[in-house]
Amino acid sequence: MRASLSTLPGRIGIVIAVALLVAWSLGPIYWSLVTSLTPPLHLLGTPSLWPQQISFEHYAKLFGATSMSQGNAVQSVWPQFSAALTNSLITSGLATVVTVAIAAFGAYAFVRLEFPGRDLLFVAVVATLAIPAYTVMIPLYRLMISLKLIDTYTGITLIYVSAFLPLALWLMRSVYQAMPISLEEAAWLDGAGRVYTLVYIVLPLSAPGLIASAILTFLNAWGQFMVPLVFSPTLATKPLTVLIPEFVTRNYIDFGLMNAAGILAIIPPVLLVLFLNRYLVSGLMAGATK
Amino acid sequence: MPSSYPRRNRTPGELALAAALVVPIVVVMGGLVFWPLATSVLASFYRIDPMKPGTPFVGLANYGALLADGNVQTAWLNTFAYVAIAVVLETIGGLGAALLLNRVKHGRQWLLAITVLPWCLPPVVNAIVWMWIFNPSYGVLNHVLLWLGVIDARKVWFNDQATALFLISLVHVWRMMPLTAVILLAALQSIPRDLYEAARLDGAGPIKSFRLVTLPLISSGLAIALSQSTVFAFNLFDEAWILSGSSLDTRSVIIQVYLTAFQNLRFSNGMALSILAMLASLLVSLIYVLRVYRETRYD
Repeated sequence: MRASLSTLPGRIGIVIAVALLVAWSLGPIYWSLVTSLTPPLHLLGTPSLWPQQISFEHYAKLFGATSMSQGNAVQSVWPQFSAALTNSLITSGLATVVTVAIAAFGAYAFVRLEFPGRDLLFVAVVATLAIPAYTVMIPLYRLMISLKLIDTYTGITLIYVSAFLPLALWLMRSVYQAMPISLEEAAWLDGAGRVYTLVYIVLPLSAPGLIASAILTFLNAWGQFMVPLVFSPTLATKPLTVLIPEFVTRNYIDFGLMNAAGILAIIPPVLLVLFLNRYLVSGLMAGATK
Repeated sequence: MPSSYPRRNRTPGELALAAALVVPIVVVMGGLVFWPLATSVLASFYRIDPMKPGTPFVGLANYGALLADGNVQTAWLNTFAYVAIAVVLETIGGLGAALLLNRVKHGRQWLLAITVLPWCLPPVVNAIVWMWIFNPSYGVLNHVLLWLGVIDARKVWFNDQATALFLISLVHVWRMMPLTAVILLAALQSIPRDLYEAARLDGAGPIKSFRLVTLPLISSGLAIALSQSTVFAFNLFDEAWILSGSSLDTRSVIIQVYLTAFQNLRFSNGMALSILAMLASLLVSLIYVLRVYRETRYD
């Protein structure tokens, strides 16, 4: 098996396979970027691999006060777009902070502290990973209505936390389990309390695990569609994922605008993958294989 | 109780701390998952419909109505098609990608980042990007296939049910394949090198050593990957909803749940259907796990 690697056909095969994998993964994103930079009229012609003329017209529709559409000046979508962008950032950010905080402290109790029903509770919480979100959505909708939490940041954040907590808890528990207890014991011998040890010794050492849980939670929350479709009916909390498809329901489908908005919506995930890829992959592996 | 924890004595302080750390989990999961789940199961035996007075107990009538409903049957068939196509393609593609990533030495981190990227993007945006690619008049797919001579006229892809189901599955596979690849890569990396060495010394070629060493040793990873793909494909909503809305040709069970509950307001029917969908996806993934584990045992 090793021998075939060093032969020339073997190498060429690998290069072709890598090229295919890269084209498959990046091709659609590249195409979306090209589309978003192509002048509207050129979109109706023969597509070319590279835009013959770069235009920021589609982005101007998102950011400008007014823009031209089929020869008429129209109100731009900036007010809706900026509100949805803010909503996406706030709900995903809040969900991430709350989820990781609860998981970071809670998982510690599941690993280092002893209390009745510990294992049962952990198994029950993690088992909900296998329950699809929509199974609880209808009662949740009625509950949120009675609590007056529909279309509020609190409501959306709570739902996200309940959906993403099991995975974060699972990850943080495996992080703590892999950590030698001797460090903590040394601190206890020095008279440090449990809470002090957790906050000043355990948490800093768990930084990679915390980052991995935060990335996974953020990406999950950022991409959510069905939950906000039901629980965020207005721009008070409506995120980008719900707003962008609504560009379709105008009298025609503005693909340039949708691709431009899509490209802006994928900037945060792309940045996370570019800079924190290591943590993301280790989190996915730990979350998937243990 | 203390005797069951012989190593350390539990102090009242420890118990209080544990309670403080765990209470948020109990409250959030209890209030927003377990209680609604129990309500869902219970309510599926009642008639809950804002358009009709009262909420009488109806037993299995909601489930019976689902079995008789032609739209629901179509949605099930569509979902099975999604699951079959997605699981097969994700497993083959993901295994290929994992084997490749396991071999690449230089720049593996970057190739991994590129591979994982589609999984990180909002499914809605993915679906929109592909919708433009599939566009009948201006989409790049028609142009490329015309140019290659595969087709001789532009196709309206979503006019044909089989094609529509396949293309929606393809968008789903584009997003979910990275997860399979990462799970299998983790499994591949846990195989000790010297096993391959031993297989080679015994005269096993690449294919034989893949079948005799790699496959058995990644089977538990494979079981996890298969059940993940299955559960996610059963839950397919975003891609189908964006690409063709409530169209019956491509309607998944979850879209049917959404339409029943949130557009027709037949809450209890929706809950019954969502419970059936949950049971189905759990059952199918359980079958994989059991089968794969049994096969490894006997090897």
